[in-house]
Amino acid sequence: MQATQIDGETWVRIAQSADLDIPRPVMPITLQGRRLVLFRDDDGQLGLIGRHCPHRGADLCYGRLEDNGLRCPFHGWHFDRTGQCVEQPAEPEGSVMYQQIKVPMVPVIERDGEILALLGSELEQSAGKETGK
Amino acid sequence: MISEELNKRITRVGPGTPAGAVLRRYWQPAALIEELEHGARVPVNLMGERLALIRDDAGQLLLATRVADADEAPTHYPPSDQIQIDADGPTYPVVQRAGAVFAYLGGGTPPAFPDFDCFRAPDTHVFAFKGLWECNWLQALEIGIDPAHASFLHRFLEDEDPDQSYGKQFRDKAGSTNIPMTKLLRDYPRPDILVDETDYGLKITALRHMEDGRTHVRVTNQIFPDAICIPMSREMTITQWHVPVDDRTCYWFTIFTSFDKPVNKELMRAQRLKEHSLPDYAPLKNRANDYHYDPSEQASLTYTGMGLDINVHDQWAVEGMGAIQDRTQEHLGRSDVAIIRYRRLLRRAMDALEQGADQTLLMQEDETANMRGPLSNDAIAQSDDWRNASHQADMQRRAACPWDASV
Repeated sequence: MQATQIDGETWVRIAQSADLDIPRPVMPITLQGRRLVLFRDDDGQLGLIGRHCPHRGADLCYGRLEDNGLRCPFHGWHFDRTGQCVEQPAEPEGSVMYQQIKVPMVPVIERDGEILALLGSELEQSAGKETGK
Repeated sequence: MISEELNKRITRVGPGTPAGAVLRRYWQPAALIEELEHGARVPVNLMGERLALIRDDAGQLLLATRVADADEAPTHYPPSDQIQIDADGPTYPVVQRAGAVFAYLGGGTPPAFPDFDCFRAPDTHVFAFKGLWECNWLQALEIGIDPAHASFLHRFLEDEDPDQSYGKQFRDKAGSTNIPMTKLLRDYPRPDILVDETDYGLKITALRHMEDGRTHVRVTNQIFPDAICIPMSREMTITQWHVPVDDRTCYWFTIFTSFDKPVNKELMRAQRLKEHSLPDYAPLKNRANDYHYDPSEQASLTYTGMGLDINVHDQWAVEGMGAIQDRTQEHLGRSDVAIIRYRRLLRRAMDALEQGADQTLLMQEDETANMRGPLSNDAIAQSDDWRNASHQADMQRRAACPWDASV
């Protein structure tokens, strides 16, 4: 894996920008055994977040890319590019449980047509170490 | 979230495990009766045990242990003449009911069969089928006691003509109205969910309060320990077991029960065989082919992009969690209330068996043979009358039924 040092931090190439030049820019990424999902939101910004929905573990790689984020098809929980849950449409009206729910997020940058992810504490803390498929 | 230790305790079912001990106290569907055509010996892979259906000297069907390689695939299905019986292994009694062969792996005297609709209806009015899911049985069961997911996972962005819906879940009209179920589920995604403990498990009531002052009432059931009973259409219910093959693989076994007309078994079977391969009833859409996921369909027609068969949606949801869902990472919400209550029942049963309090387990007494129902239906009622209206709707259906469906 190609590593780049930027300001003393280690970033690795995880994809080409062109990989996401598709109608639905979402792709699975496995980085150091961590299962993640990479997507581009309506703002054109990238999100690299844990692949399993923090609700009951559904696979967000099949998520609905809509409303400027990724929505789990199981119960409609919606996540923005930072991994923050912003909506739980099956929970009772007025519930604020979503504010406490966040999928681990790994920082990414895009430069010279390449997408780089930060190897650091965020990745280490991200859930979903591969546990068999 | 639960601890890794507890997750292990409630999911593992091999011989000698606490959850396995609970499942073994109940009759479990082991094969479809149509599998008996395989030959004199029919492979059965159940709860981590490698077994085969054979006949004893008196011609009586029973389940015996077969000789198996350690690296066999979970659903290994050898030809009849290649099955060797392990004479030292345990044997288990079996009974043929409603299109399935049920087995009792618990030792001692098996409990009575409850007199549920699926076991009372004549052969003309029941149809059994099964399908393979590559995941632990508990996550397969838990999706069946989660009434909220239908508003999302099974969402159709357009409504099909309900008159073309025979044999399909969620495609009938809702209650006695002309509203397609697909529309009702889509428009009201936040059901109030009530859970009542019963003598068979849990009664789960999902209420969708409509804008016009009416309420859609959907009554489903958890039948302890690993089955559900839910409405499919006005005419049919689904009684479905989620039976472990091993810890990482399970079968759903469904008995479709019709209250009115005889089941069109030929059509039901053809619809399902089109989606599965034999001899292991493995779904043709699966993880290896991305469940035929189509992003353009997801954008315009279905919530998942995986076609119209809701079984595939469920399969994707539960298999995508990993072979055994890591519940140390879950965050259950209000919509998961029945799952929380169910795990409590399971833990209570595991504890009871460990403490020798076997008699406290559900459905072990002789009276089990008199247990009827359970009521499973969809109804729409004025909101202040939903409880009565739901009951009446089921009673009407039962009263008009050509076989004795009284409760």
